Amino acid sequence: MRKPLVLRHPSILVFLGVLAVFTVAVTVLSAGYGTGAISTSMVKTLGKTLCLALAAVAMDLVWGYAGILSLGQMAFFALGGYMIGMWLMVARTEGIVAGSLANLPIPPTDAEISAAVATQIFGVVGSDKFPMIWAFSGSLWGQLALVVLVPGLLALVFGWLAFRSRVNGVYLSILTQAMTLALALYLFQNDSGLRGNNGLSGLQNIPGLDAVSQEKLSIWFLWASAVTLGLGYLLIAWVASGKFGSVTRAIRDDEARVRFLGYSVEGYKLVVFVLAAVVTAIAGALYYPQAGIINPAELAPIASIYLAVWVAIGGRGRLYGAAIGAIFVSMLSSWFTGGRAPDVNLGFYTIKWVDWWQVLLGLSFVLVTLLAPKGIAGLVDLFEGLRPPKRQGQPMGPDMGSLREKEAVE
Amino acid sequence: MRLFLLVLAFVALVLPIHARAQTADLAAVVSQYRDQIEKPSRQSIGPVVDEIAATGAQGAALLQAWNERLLGLRKSDGLLVIAAPEGDGLKLTDAATGADLGSAAEADVTMLRPNSGVRGVISAAMAGNALSDPDPKRRIEALDSMSRRADASQLALLREAMDDPDPALAARKQRLERMLTIQYDSDPAARIAAIEGFGGDSGLDFRASLNPILAMRRVAFEEIPSGTNIAKELSLGGDLSREDAYAMLVAEGLAPARLTPQAMRATLAQHIVQGSVGGVPLAQLADQDARDRAYTALEAQGTVQPAASDDEVEAALARYKFLDVYAEPNPDVTTAARAALRSTETRIGLMQAADLSLDALSLASIYFLAAIGLAVTFGVMGVINMAHGEFIMMGAYTGYVVQQFIADRTVSLIVALPLAFVVTFAAGVALERLVIRHLYKRPLETLLATFGVSIALQQLAKNIFGTQARPLTSPAWLDGALTFNDVVSISYIRIAIFVLALVFLGLYLFIMNRTRLGLEVRAVTQNPAMAASMGISPDRINMLTFGLGSGIAGIAGVAIGLFAKVTSELGSDYIVQSFMTVVVGGVGNIWGTLAGAALIGFLQKGIEWFNPANTLAAQTYMILFIIIFIQFRPRGIIAAKGRAVGA
Repeated sequence: MRKPLVLRHPSILVFLGVLAVFTVAVTVLSAGYGTGAISTSMVKTLGKTLCLALAAVAMDLVWGYAGILSLGQMAFFALGGYMIGMWLMVARTEGIVAGSLANLPIPPTDAEISAAVATQIFGVVGSDKFPMIWAFSGSLWGQLALVVLVPGLLALVFGWLAFRSRVNGVYLSILTQAMTLALALYLFQNDSGLRGNNGLSGLQNIPGLDAVSQEKLSIWFLWASAVTLGLGYLLIAWVASGKFGSVTRAIRDDEARVRFLGYSVEGYKLVVFVLAAVVTAIAGALYYPQAGIINPAELAPIASIYLAVWVAIGGRGRLYGAAIGAIFVSMLSSWFTGGRAPDVNLGFYTIKWVDWWQVLLGLSFVLVTLLAPKGIAGLVDLFEGLRPPKRQGQPMGPDMGSLREKEAVE
Repeated sequence: MRLFLLVLAFVALVLPIHARAQTADLAAVVSQYRDQIEKPSRQSIGPVVDEIAATGAQGAALLQAWNERLLGLRKSDGLLVIAAPEGDGLKLTDAATGADLGSAAEADVTMLRPNSGVRGVISAAMAGNALSDPDPKRRIEALDSMSRRADASQLALLREAMDDPDPALAARKQRLERMLTIQYDSDPAARIAAIEGFGGDSGLDFRASLNPILAMRRVAFEEIPSGTNIAKELSLGGDLSREDAYAMLVAEGLAPARLTPQAMRATLAQHIVQGSVGGVPLAQLADQDARDRAYTALEAQGTVQPAASDDEVEAALARYKFLDVYAEPNPDVTTAARAALRSTETRIGLMQAADLSLDALSLASIYFLAAIGLAVTFGVMGVINMAHGEFIMMGAYTGYVVQQFIADRTVSLIVALPLAFVVTFAAGVALERLVIRHLYKRPLETLLATFGVSIALQQLAKNIFGTQARPLTSPAWLDGALTFNDVVSISYIRIAIFVLALVFLGLYLFIMNRTRLGLEVRAVTQNPAMAASMGISPDRINMLTFGLGSGIAGIAGVAIGLFAKVTSELGSDYIVQSFMTVVVGGVGNIWGTLAGAALIGFLQKGIEWFNPANTLAAQTYMILFIIIFIQFRPRGIIAAKGRAVGA
């Protein structure tokens, strides 16, 4: 009998264990439930980072396992955020509006409340009606379904079109980037129905939970993010481990060969792409209530490229690598850009990290790509003594051959 | 004989003016109308001004002074004087005789301050004089002011002064006369003739003169009065929604207002009696049906005005006819004007299409310029260089820096172009040697590594030049635009970019097809191993090719910087479009890149034409179109064929 998944891959257990310890530690040190050593804003940052880690894990499935360098993952992330944001915004505005209308001598009708809510929300873009796409915004379950359905459908349609016509490699990357750009530009318009560049705001106030302080709420969200990250990690590890995972990795290594062996390459790719989009969207739906605001700038192509950068630095093809990369780089990034890193005085010039962090990130990224393709997770290999075979000699000329001088001689 | 006739004609022309000048004495006129000159009113001053104008040169001088608020009364004796500022004081001239009265202090004179209405009358009268002024400049000014502020009175003035020694001015007068005829002549036949005389003229002024004739009002009539010039009878529900139609009736006081929910709510709130309205408890009023019941109950009690019911609304709508009516009463004139406007519209449509094509062409050349470097690095070598946009930016900043040292714009541009090439060539070679060389077999990682370079370069530019936009000013001879007519025009800078794009196309074709370097590049891209066996060093060629592509990007950067603002994000604004251009066109073929740029440029302008206010939407739809286009031609418009495909 086969051993259960977690025993075949002990890294899963280690990851979940570390995640649990981390969550408990933060809870104990938090202002809401513990000593208060960690500020509420820090708890929120940690919670958001966990969501980013989940997005990175999904990215790793797409890129590290299936070999699709999708530069549009953050579009799914933001779409998830928008979907949950619509409900948060409507429900909260409804509460405020109903409160103010209740003081009038004649009680308001439903239509009047709805009109007042619409004016409140869409006043900034010069409208006073709910656009069509807000049809389900009154119902939490409806919007939760949309969190999964909208990005899933987008990924399905886009992936089907792209994979069917055998767009792959860098072309696919550019195409996904174009998709993100198109979506961002669309959302920037005021008449897109999602408040243009104002975006959705006030998402940190959860309707019905007004009595709960932000200190406690941030911890609740941290727990939710941790649980979701754990479940998402398990799901993706399970998908990537079995026969399905083997075929996916084979597609990454040699797509044509897998196709000749009779597998439906497009089908596998599509399943992976859609699954990753859905998981990313769920991560986004947890991220934006903690961030409090979402606007189309979140979809800018650069955001998705950063996600790829995190995964690359963390180590592709290993789920824990992706998570580590996302957590490590995004925390480091907020440390440097937050102005907390000490300036370096070179005598003739003072390096302010706020200005120079991007340069450092860019260069270190180049170095990681060149010198350590396995990323941070490669350290684990070093630790376990797994090393790639030492290959001697020069490459045999500029052609695509894989053998090197010595190997060819032997 | 002919000379004699000419002299006779001249005398005949001059005599009446001369004679008229003799008829009235300015001093007499001034003393006669003294009160009106001191306290003029717009309605009554007209005849006075005309009489003064008729007295000749000194009258004209008086009018001009009056118009410029230089007319005053000397306090000592109440004499009407022209007081021109001179040093600290005023130089006085007798307004009636033109005699010099020496200078005076400002306090000695009470200035007259005619209001703008009066001055309008004065300047109109003066325009009549100025139209026959011997100085062509004044005639042009008079014509300009007349065409800006035309009215009926000026038509007569203009007709009196139609002759002009300058043929160009005569033609202008002719044109203006016909334009004024269209608008103000009392004879409809003359107006129609004038309208038809313009043919399909597309001038803005002609269209502007037709528009007031075709101005429409929307009215409701029970009985259509005779003599109404109907533009169109509106059908309810089609041309005019029933709600709007009823709102019109309400606005004109022809029907009672319908009860809006807000009004009903306010009325109900006024009639709350012991927690209920019309017998309906307040708690139930959160429902429209209950509110209707409550209001009906109030109506039955007679406490509120009955609101218009649906039936009454229908009846009112059926009773009235809704029309668009021309303000111009004569139907023949409006018909002619409509026909003329329609024929100009076709021509204008064609011209707008031409203008749009020029716009699209220049956008296409910009994309082509931005993409041609990529066509080398990505198209020929297959290297994805995400830092390409930053090379464009480096080129633009090079241009900016050169301008800091060389003041002359033309010279600085001539220096900047090769310098930008050198700078970005060096940067490209460095990038190739340090990074890309190690990643030729891992294209996805090239993409990521060059992206790392891209963010580093962007931030570096920000650190050096700051975040605000830097000016890269084009030389004066590139300012302005080549204007064909009111509609079609293109700025010189866009023409220059178009020319530059053509030059680069030629340069690319020359290098690739006619030089040793091009031959070796093609050999290395087709089969590096074979090329190496023939003694070509693929390393060196790759390095040079990449440098060439980057250098072209630098020059494109200077060109783009001339019309876009130079910021550290300049490159990233173009990078996605550039890749699109190359991918849509077909990788590895310069004609494909050209076709791709043309497609994207024309497409974007075309979509913008449908929705001019929204360039964001245009970009969105363009990208969507490209994504779908790639589905049907995955290898681009001009697909590479044969063995090169797999390489």
